[in-house]
Amino acid sequence: MKFFKAAALSAAVLLGSTVSALAVERGGVMTYGRYADSLFLDPVLNDANVDIWILSNMYDTLLLPTDDGKGVKPGLASDYKVSDDGLTVTLTLRDGIKFSDGSAITPEDVVFSLDRAINPDNGIWNFLVSSIDSVDSPDAKTVVLHLKHPDPAIIPALTVFNTAIMPKAQFMASAGTTDKEKAEDFQTHPVGSGPFVLQSWDRGSTMKLVRNPYYWDMGEDGKPLPYLDGVTFEVIPDDATRILRLQSGEIDGAEFIPFARVSELKADPSINMQLFPSTKVNYITLNVRPTVDGKENPLANVKVRQAMNYALNKDAIIQIVTQGVGTPMTSFMSTATPLHSGDTPLFPYDPAKAKQLLAEAGYPNGFKTSILALAGNQDDAGITTAMQQMFAAVGIDLEIKQVDNATRTDLYRNGNFDMRTGGWTDDIADPSEITSYFAYSPVIEAMHSGWSNDEVNSLFEQSQSETDPAKRAQEYARIQEIYNSEGPTLPLFETPYPVALRKNVQGFVQIPLGNNIFRSAWLQK
Amino acid sequence: MPLSEFLARRLLQLIPTLIFILIVVFVLVRLLPGDPTSAILGDRALDADVERINRQLGLDQPIIVQFWLFVKSVFSGDLGNSIVLKLPVTTLIAQRLPTTILLTVMAALIALIMAVPLAFVAALQREKLADASIRGAFQVGLSMPVFYLGLILLTVFGARLQWFPVGGYGDGFLDHLYHLFLPSLTLALSLSAILMRNLRAAIIGVLDAEYVSFAHAKGLAPRLILTRHVLRNALISTVTIFGLSIGTLLSGAVITETVFAIPGAGRLMVDSIYGRDYPVVQGMTLALAVLVSVTFLLTDILQAWLDPRVAR
Repeated sequence: MKFFKAAALSAAVLLGSTVSALAVERGGVMTYGRYADSLFLDPVLNDANVDIWILSNMYDTLLLPTDDGKGVKPGLASDYKVSDDGLTVTLTLRDGIKFSDGSAITPEDVVFSLDRAINPDNGIWNFLVSSIDSVDSPDAKTVVLHLKHPDPAIIPALTVFNTAIMPKAQFMASAGTTDKEKAEDFQTHPVGSGPFVLQSWDRGSTMKLVRNPYYWDMGEDGKPLPYLDGVTFEVIPDDATRILRLQSGEIDGAEFIPFARVSELKADPSINMQLFPSTKVNYITLNVRPTVDGKENPLANVKVRQAMNYALNKDAIIQIVTQGVGTPMTSFMSTATPLHSGDTPLFPYDPAKAKQLLAEAGYPNGFKTSILALAGNQDDAGITTAMQQMFAAVGIDLEIKQVDNATRTDLYRNGNFDMRTGGWTDDIADPSEITSYFAYSPVIEAMHSGWSNDEVNSLFEQSQSETDPAKRAQEYARIQEIYNSEGPTLPLFETPYPVALRKNVQGFVQIPLGNNIFRSAWLQK
Repeated sequence: MPLSEFLARRLLQLIPTLIFILIVVFVLVRLLPGDPTSAILGDRALDADVERINRQLGLDQPIIVQFWLFVKSVFSGDLGNSIVLKLPVTTLIAQRLPTTILLTVMAALIALIMAVPLAFVAALQREKLADASIRGAFQVGLSMPVFYLGLILLTVFGARLQWFPVGGYGDGFLDHLYHLFLPSLTLALSLSAILMRNLRAAIIGVLDAEYVSFAHAKGLAPRLILTRHVLRNALISTVTIFGLSIGTLLSGAVITETVFAIPGAGRLMVDSIYGRDYPVVQGMTLALAVLVSVTFLLTDILQAWLDPRVAR
């Protein structure tokens, strides 16, 4: 009898779990706690992650990123084809697609939206689509991109927020004369192409999205997505308060959980503590110019940079700063970035080797240097104080300069720094973005470090129009090999996105690029 | 001098004060390192982008020209647009400032309600157990950091007991009051401690004064003595401290608004300074300066009423 009971129970549990995995439930509003409010929700003119990471819920792109963030799946376009010479991309629009006001999404809207995205006077993201020369539409279902040169990143670029599709007529009918003025007016009464549409926005407090009844994609139950009636974003800047509200059930999810609280929330039976894989890398950028502020700069010497890398116990830093959540870096780009190469952690801790390299470089007794850290930022405080101690062991005297973000930006943009902390996430599922900023010197002098390597520069230029995937992978492998061994950087660690959800939240995902995807999210009742 | 003339003089004094504040803020915020565009864009800012956007914003003009344009628009009631939020600064002030005012007023009222009766009790029970316990309790309130106290109140009365919401601002006026109770209490505790100690000392001073002994000797009812003579005279210095504390309350609101997730002016101000959002910093400073000046004016009027010698 006892055995029978147990068997019946386990069968019921099994059955229950299979059923819940299949039967999505519709309705309800999911409330999500954010650390900061959005600033400007225009796909082209935005300039911060607080906008980028939620925009895709309101505006769909022709193609969509896969949940692992590395691939591409159909979006508003059901099909695409790149010509053999790599110079044209032909996209077929889905039948019957509509904006949130019920009007049809036409090729004209697509041409308009992409023209906005490639206009160099609009915003800062046009470099992602700079290969597009012109966009036209031969018939009512087809859009053709004409490229200046073959662009291996053009397909992933069509999943990025800045190529999202907006309604031309409604946008142009907005008040104002310039594109910027029209965008500012349009965002007060937006019409979108994504699964949700903005309903109301109390700045600094609450943003309400409601489901777009005209969304094209179908759910698992054969009815249109999204499952939720709406998503409400609550701005709760204080980490402790955000967690408290989640625990008290006032919100269904909370982003940016401090790493120090992750294990505690994992143990909470009402919370599903998620660590979504990300493209986030944390590193120190070094100024490698021969002189800084008129003085000779030890960091210009590659052996010194290598010595500093060996002197850092990155495993210890990972423990201190991320409570073990982070992982050591194997390249300057994240493991979630396509064409990442390298499978062993860079520069394993070796203080003896560090001392030897310092001696070879002519600094047997070390030197004095400094680092810019963000004032009030706990991660930065943890990283830099740990570095200070580890460097002291090999004779390097590190001064920590705490500044605010705008001051730090000003200092490093002007080359007026020794070292600085940094963090980066990709915006596109392609290695070209991070490489152009980090390694290819013509863009921003390799993260304003002053580092330049001719081989890297020419390899990068080749890779930008390389149509053979195998060759492009080789080029990227070589770029990473050079940068990782002699670049202007101390790689620290990769971190996931720590998101805490109530147990009944299903189907929500934050992809490695950071986008919060609510289109398939649902609430178990 | 009649009260109206006193008022007119004080209002006139306000104008140069505000102009001075405007100039200082306008220059100071631009002396900070960095600019709004590269502050927002950070790593990704290309030099060409920064130059183009700053030119579009008119930030490439000489500071004198920028100031002249700013002054001109202020006099036409336009404080410019937020660089970061792309909204008119007047709209932002209208959205955010009332929240902070409500928070400050509630905090001030709670502080008064707690401080005045207890100051009386403490003063009348001077050096007895009641006095010591009241002063001890307020000492704890005074020495506790606002963010810590706020978090404790949130955890206990919000998350555990669920008497109050865990932060946020709610919908509608009554809901706002409900949401603002814990943050106001947080702000009120340290202020009430200062007020209570000051008022207690003042009451003791007045109680010892000869005119109070005289009133007793004349056989006036003790209650009448307390309300008409003691309270009125003791309040004079407390009102001054109370007025000055409004400025402190406003700065305490910054932390409270962050901990309690309230979309107030304090948080906007701090975000705008970090983002180098010049028009918002200027506009908010102007609005806060007016607010504080009006508070001081009200304090002066109250003092003039309590002690007619002030207006003379």
